[in-house]
Amino acid sequence: MPDTPLHSLELSHFLLTGAVLFVIGMIGFLSRRNLIIIFLCTEMMFQGVVVTLAAFSRFHLNDTGQTFVIFVLTIAAAEAALALGLVVLLFRRRHTLDAQAWSELRG
Amino acid sequence: MPYFLYIASVLGAVAVWMMMPRHGYSPRKLGAVVGAMTLGAMWLYLARHHLPPSDEAGLSQPAMAYSYVFSALAIGAAIRVITHQKPVYAALWFVMVVLSTAGLLLVLNAEFMAAALVIIYGGAILVTYVFVIMLASQAGDPADAPEYDRVAREPAAAVAVGFLLLAVLLSAAFPTEPHQLLRPNPEARGPSDAFIIEQYLTDRPAQRLEELTDDPQQLRQLAAIESPGALDNAERVGFDLFHNHPLGLELAGVILLVSLVGAVVIARVRTEPPQPPEVSP
Amino acid sequence: MIPTFAKLIPWLPALAAVLCGVCCLWRPLRRWAAAICIASIVGAFVISVTISKAVVSRELTHVKVFEWIHASDLKVDFAYLFDPLTILMLFVVTGIGALVAIYAAGYMAGDRGYARFFAGVSLFIFAMTTLVLADNLVLLYLGWEGVGLCSYLLIGYHYDKPTAVAAAKKAFIVNRVGDLSFVIGIFLIFTRYETVSIAPVLEAARGSISTDWRDLLIPFMLMLGAFGKSAQLPLYVWLPDAMEGPTPVSALIHAATMVTAGVYMIARMLPIFELSPYALPTVAVVGTATALFAATIALCQHDIKRIFAYSTISQLGYMFLGVGVLSTVGGVFHLFTHAFFKALLFLTAGSVMHALAGQLDLRKMSGLKAKMPITCGLMFIGCLALAGFPLTAGFYSKDMILTASLEKGINEHAVLFTVLGVVGLVTALLTAFYTFRLWFRIFLGPTEYEMGQEHHGDNDKSHGESVEPGDIHVEHTHVHEPHEVNWLMNGPLVVLAVGALLAGMVCGDWVDAMVSASTANPQATEAVAHNGVHLHGLVMWISGLIAIVGIVAAAYFHWLNRAAADAFAQKYAGAVRVLANKYYVDEFYDRVIVQPLYMLGQVLYQADRMIIDGLVATVGFVPRALGLSIQPAQRGVLQGYGLGMAVGTAVILLVVLVAS
Repeated sequence: MPDTPLHSLELSHFLLTGAVLFVIGMIGFLSRRNLIIIFLCTEMMFQGVVVTLAAFSRFHLNDTGQTFVIFVLTIAAAEAALALGLVVLLFRRRHTLDAQAWSELRG
Repeated sequence: MPYFLYIASVLGAVAVWMMMPRHGYSPRKLGAVVGAMTLGAMWLYLARHHLPPSDEAGLSQPAMAYSYVFSALAIGAAIRVITHQKPVYAALWFVMVVLSTAGLLLVLNAEFMAAALVIIYGGAILVTYVFVIMLASQAGDPADAPEYDRVAREPAAAVAVGFLLLAVLLSAAFPTEPHQLLRPNPEARGPSDAFIIEQYLTDRPAQRLEELTDDPQQLRQLAAIESPGALDNAERVGFDLFHNHPLGLELAGVILLVSLVGAVVIARVRTEPPQPPEVSP
Repeated sequence: MIPTFAKLIPWLPALAAVLCGVCCLWRPLRRWAAAICIASIVGAFVISVTISKAVVSRELTHVKVFEWIHASDLKVDFAYLFDPLTILMLFVVTGIGALVAIYAAGYMAGDRGYARFFAGVSLFIFAMTTLVLADNLVLLYLGWEGVGLCSYLLIGYHYDKPTAVAAAKKAFIVNRVGDLSFVIGIFLIFTRYETVSIAPVLEAARGSISTDWRDLLIPFMLMLGAFGKSAQLPLYVWLPDAMEGPTPVSALIHAATMVTAGVYMIARMLPIFELSPYALPTVAVVGTATALFAATIALCQHDIKRIFAYSTISQLGYMFLGVGVLSTVGGVFHLFTHAFFKALLFLTAGSVMHALAGQLDLRKMSGLKAKMPITCGLMFIGCLALAGFPLTAGFYSKDMILTASLEKGINEHAVLFTVLGVVGLVTALLTAFYTFRLWFRIFLGPTEYEMGQEHHGDNDKSHGESVEPGDIHVEHTHVHEPHEVNWLMNGPLVVLAVGALLAGMVCGDWVDAMVSASTANPQATEAVAHNGVHLHGLVMWISGLIAIVGIVAAAYFHWLNRAAADAFAQKYAGAVRVLANKYYVDEFYDRVIVQPLYMLGQVLYQADRMIIDGLVATVGFVPRALGLSIQPAQRGVLQGYGLGMAVGTAVILLVVLVAS
C-alpha cells in the first residue's frame, strides 16, 4: 500500500471520470431501446462506480473500497446472468428486443 | 471554476445528443468533433489549473498523465457504446471501457481489482453479452437492423437529465472554496502492512524472495520493488475481505448461487415454446 | 277430535302442494301428482262434511292452529272460524275443487307441467280454504293474496306463451289495486275496533248506525277489494284475459271459487257494510251495472271461454246485487248454484276445445252434436241453468235476488232498487240469448269445424285410437277428428250437471238456513220484508218467460236462420263493433292509466338516470379525470420510469448540495 494518499484535487479527476461514465451509462439506459444495450449500459454505470470506489480507497488509504469493487463485480455477474436469461426469455416470447414491447402489465 | 464544468457539461450534452442514433440525417461526426474538443479543453484546463503542487501530490506525474489517457479512452468508448447502432460493436466498445477502467485502477494502485475487472468483465460477462447478442439479432446491413437499434428513444430528455445529474455531481466533486476540499480521514486509514503481518500473518514465510529465484541479480531487483515486510495489493484486499467483510462475502456467494439457479430456470427451453401472444388487432 | 280434523281442511291440500312440488322434480313421480291432489281435496271435502253437523249445532266455532303474530296490541292467531256460511263455502270450494281436479287429471294428461299444475291447484285449495276459514282479517288477507298468487301462477301456466304471461301479469296487477284498498280497509278496522278478529269486529259493528268517519269509509275500502277479486266494474278487465290459463283453472278459480271470494267477504262482513247507509246500495248498483255491461259484451264475443268469462262477470254482478239489497241468502245461493253450472260450462267448453285441438272461435265450429253427444247434452244443461230456465238451479237463485231487489224497491219506495231489479230482468234476457247463441252455434246447424293449432299433449292415449300417418280429414288438414272425451273427464261433469239441474230445487231451504244462521244474516230488513208485498211468484213467472224468450230468440237467429243474425249484425255494425271491442275499456285504461303511469315512470327513470346517476358519475369522474391527466407518466415504458428516477436523483442531490 502506498504511503501517500491521493490529493483532493487529484481525487476530483477520478470522480469526474467516474461520474461521466455513470452518467453516460444512464443516458444509454434511458434512451436506448435494445434490451441488451440497456443492460450493457447498467454495466457501464457500474464501471463509473468502480472507478469512484477505487479512487476513494486510494484517497483514504483504506482497502474496503476495493473490497466493495469485488461485491460490485459479484452483483454485476449475477445481474448479467439473470438479466440476460430474462432477455432471452422475453425475446422468445415476442421475437423482439424492444423494451417498449413490454409496456403492459399483463403480458 | 465550476462554470467551466457547467459549460463543459452543456457542450458534452450537445455532443452526445448529436451522436445519438436517430431517423434521417445524424450529425454524428460533428458531435464527435464537439465532444472531443470539449474533452480536450477540459483536460487542458484541469491539467493547468487543477493539479496539486508536486510535493503534495499522491500520484506521480506519469501516473496522472496515464489517468488522463485512460479517462479519455473510457469516456470516448462509453459514448460509442451508447451511440453505436450495432449491439455487437457496442459490446466491443464496452470491452474498451472495461480495459480503460482497469487502466485507471492500475493508476490507483488497485492491481488486483484491475486484473479481476478484466477477467470477469472483459472475459466472462462480455462473452455472455456477445452470446446473447448473437442469439437475438441478425447480422447484415445496418439499414436492415431493427428500428429499436437504429433509433434512440427520447435522446434529448435523457441527455438533458443525464448531464444535469453530471453537473450536480461535478459541483460536488469540484468544490469552489478551499475549505470545502475533501480531506482524507486519518481514522479510516487501513492498518499498516507490518501490523497485519505481526498480528495475523505470523507464519507468513519471510524468505519468499529467495524461493523465487537463485539469481542474485534478479533477487536484488525484486528486493528493490518488494520489501519482505510489505504486503501486495491482492494480499491486502484479501485480508480486508476475509477479515472485515465475512458476512458480505457469504451473501455474495448466496447471491451468485441464487442467480445461477435463477438463470437456469429462466432460460430453460421448454419442449414446446409458448406461442407469442397475439397482439390485439 | 273434530277440531283436529277441522284443522286439516287447509293443510291436507298444503301437504299435497308440497308433494306435487316434489313430484315436479323427478319425472317418474309426475303421474302421481293428480292422485295426490285429488286425494287431498276429496279428503278436505270429506272432513268438511263430517264436521258440518258439529258446526251447525254450534259445537265447533273456533279452532286455533298456532299463535302467529303477537306484537303489542296486535294479536293475530292462525285460527279458523267455523259457522254455517263457512261450511257452505267449504262445500263449494272442496266439492267443486275435487270434481275439477278429477276432470283435470284427464284434461291435462300428457302435459309437460302436469305435476306443476296440480301443485298449483293444491296450493290454491289451501289458500282458498284459509280465506274461507279465516278467523281474522289478516289471515283472510293471507288467503286472499294466496288465491291471487295461485291465480297468477295458473293463468301463466303456459309460461312460454306471451299472451298467457301478459294475462297473468294483468290479473295480478289489477288485483293489486283492489288488494291495496282492502288492506287499507283492514288497517282502518284495526284503528277503529283495535282488533282484526272477525267475530269481535262484527259484534261491535252490529246494530247501531255509526257516524264515525272510519265506519263510513271502511265498507268502501273493503268493497273495492271485493270488486277487484270478483271482477266487477271498474276492475273486471283481468278476468276475460285470465282465460289464457288451462280450462280447469278457468272453471275452478275464475268461475266457481276465487272470484266469489269478494261476494263471500262482503257477506261475511255484512254488519260492517250495514254501518254505512251508502255502502250496500253502491254494491248493488255496481253489481247490476256490471251484470248488464258484461252481458252486452258477451253478446258479440266469439271466443267460447271469453263468453263464459263475461257471463261469470255478469253473474257475479247478480251476486253483488243480491248482497247489496240485503238478500245475502240470494247472493250466496246464487254463488252456490253458479259454482255448479259455470264450472260445468267451462269444463264442457274445455271438452270442446280438447276435441278441436284448442279451437275456441265460435265461428269456426258448428253442428258438433253428432260428434260429441254427451258433451252436447251436458253443456245444454249448463246453459239452461245459466239462462235461468225454469226449475234449473240458476232460475231459483236468480229469482231470489231479483225478487229481493224489486220487493225492496217497492216496499221502501226506493226507485233505485226497482230500477236495479228491472235491469236485472233485462240482463237475464241477454244472458239467455248469449248463452244459447253459443250452444246453438256449437252443436246445432250444419257440421263444420276447423281444428285449432294446439295439440294437446296426450299423444292419443286418451283417444283410444291411434292416428295413422295418412289419416287426414278430407276437408281439413288436421289429424284429429273431433271426438267425445273419456269418462274420467265426463264423470265429474255428470255430477256437476246433476247439481246444475237440482241444486236450486233441493238446496234452497238448506242454503237459506245456513246463511241465516251465520253472521251474514242481515238484521235491518226482517220486519219490513214481512209486512211488504210479496212478488216471488210474479217474478218467477216473468223471469221464466224471459229465459224462454231469450232461448227462442237465440234459436231463431243462431240455429234456424243464421243469415238473419248476420243481417242483423250488419245493420247495427257500429254497435256490434263497440261490443266486440268490449266498449274499448282496455284501450281506455291503457290511455288513461297505463300510458300516463308509463310516461311518469319514463320521466322518473330519466330523472334518476340523469340527475342522480349524473351526480354519482360526476363524483366518480373527478378521480378518473385526475388519473387520466397523470396517466401518461405510467405508460408502462420502463425507461420513462428510469427517467423520472434520474430526475428525482438529480433534484435531491441538488437540494442536498444547496442546503449544505
